[in-house]
Amino acid sequence: MDNLLEFKNVSYFYQTKENEVKALENVDFSVKEKQFTSLVGPSGCGKTTILSLTCGLLNCSSGEILINGEKVKKHDDRIGYMFQRDHLFEWRTIWQNIILGLEIQKKHKDEKSLAFAESLLKKYDLYPFKNKKPRQLSGGMRQRVALIRTLVLNPALLLLDEPFSALDFQTRLKVCDDVYEIIKSENKTALLVTHDISEALSMSDKIIVLSKRPAHVKEIYEINFEGASPLAKREDKDFGKYFEMIWRNLV
Amino acid sequence: MKNKKKKIINYSKARKDYLKKIRKDKVIVLFGQLAIFAIFIGLWELLAFTGVLDPFFFSSPSRIVTTIIDLAKGGNLWIHIWTSLYETLIGFALATVIGVVIAIILWWSEKLRRMMEPYLIILNSLPKIALGPMIIFWVGSGTGATIVMCILICVVLTIISMLNAFISCDSDKLLLMKSMHANKFQILFKLILPNSLPQFISVLKINVGMSWVGTIMGEYLSSKAGLGYLINYGSQILKLDIVMASITLLCILAAGMYFLVSPLEKRYKK
Repeated sequence: MDNLLEFKNVSYFYQTKENEVKALENVDFSVKEKQFTSLVGPSGCGKTTILSLTCGLLNCSSGEILINGEKVKKHDDRIGYMFQRDHLFEWRTIWQNIILGLEIQKKHKDEKSLAFAESLLKKYDLYPFKNKKPRQLSGGMRQRVALIRTLVLNPALLLLDEPFSALDFQTRLKVCDDVYEIIKSENKTALLVTHDISEALSMSDKIIVLSKRPAHVKEIYEINFEGASPLAKREDKDFGKYFEMIWRNLV
Repeated sequence: MKNKKKKIINYSKARKDYLKKIRKDKVIVLFGQLAIFAIFIGLWELLAFTGVLDPFFFSSPSRIVTTIIDLAKGGNLWIHIWTSLYETLIGFALATVIGVVIAIILWWSEKLRRMMEPYLIILNSLPKIALGPMIIFWVGSGTGATIVMCILICVVLTIISMLNAFISCDSDKLLLMKSMHANKFQILFKLILPNSLPQFISVLKINVGMSWVGTIMGEYLSSKAGLGYLINYGSQILKLDIVMASITLLCILAAGMYFLVSPLEKRYKK
């Protein structure tokens, strides 16, 4: 498998009125195609900054970020972003929310894109809710809609910024399973930012542990748990061992 | 209909009691509202009739009704009502449109917004009536001056409220739009404007009241027709019945306009 995303010695500074803050220092890692990678680290260490740099919303101060060997651009079509909350627009129906990105990119009349959107809705049991408003859906369904809204644009790399943290624990486990299944069955590469070690362990093929600010890569773990879903992976005999190793690395 | 009957039969006692209580509360509130009105009018009429309140200074409900009928018979009442109504409607509409457009411009440019901030604060705290004499010099007396006064009173509030709504939009929603490569026009039309609809409706509701304030102020300043003019005229010739009759009509018109705007809110919430 080839590397889809590469961070090569990336540093990032940002300016405040008081001083210059070093957020990232020589961050170096790669994400292989179709791999599910998680970034864990102490809160405020710069995890979200890494996502913003990846999708070109910020520019790195030094080093380079490559996607498929090419430098990341400002409006990079190869990247999809999923947020902490679903951010569905309440004034739009589920269908209108899903094609929001297509509308923005003027692809909403492209039959192929629309057919793809519709197939995703059908595949993930949301088709009957097509004409409903977001408030008529449960938290888990809303998060699925948010993921489909991102997938409709067919990105090669999905950035997930703590997408489950706004959900209650039970919904969270279920949505985790759903999102994992969708990402795997659509053959997507994903980079998840989370502060929840067990969530990272249950979903990832690789976990990158970051240090506190200025963040650098402290440790990288390749994970290979048995089980088809995140929930099943939590039963793996090594789950606890890895959890403890990462926890020790974080504190 | 059949369905409805079936449902009622299936309700538990607790559910029936609960629904009954809601209906009962609604009736009590409505009854209370009507009672307050009836007691107020009745007491006023009684006190005026018995001479406790001097009808010359306080008028009375019956005298107000008679005055309105007399004015209507004279034919001028409709001119006064129509003048005030169209001044208010034009002022209301123009202030809302101008206010929203300026708010959009200030949202668009952060630097311009920061430059304009102190002026907006000053304009907001300035009593607009102070500009009255200047308005008459600029646009002449009459309808034009009244509409300008109406706009001045509503527009600053509209700008401030709408701008606040625009800039308080969730930053992650903005990030979502940017991550989908939306340009500023798309962010405005697909996110900022629809997201601010609830605030827009509340601005409309506030502007209904404020535009009437503007109209009456404008008509006090200089006018030859309108309910404000009628109030002024009534007080000058010491016919306070005319003043009270005009105020009553104003209440009815303002309430009517408010009830025309408020269904928008319910429609949005559906």
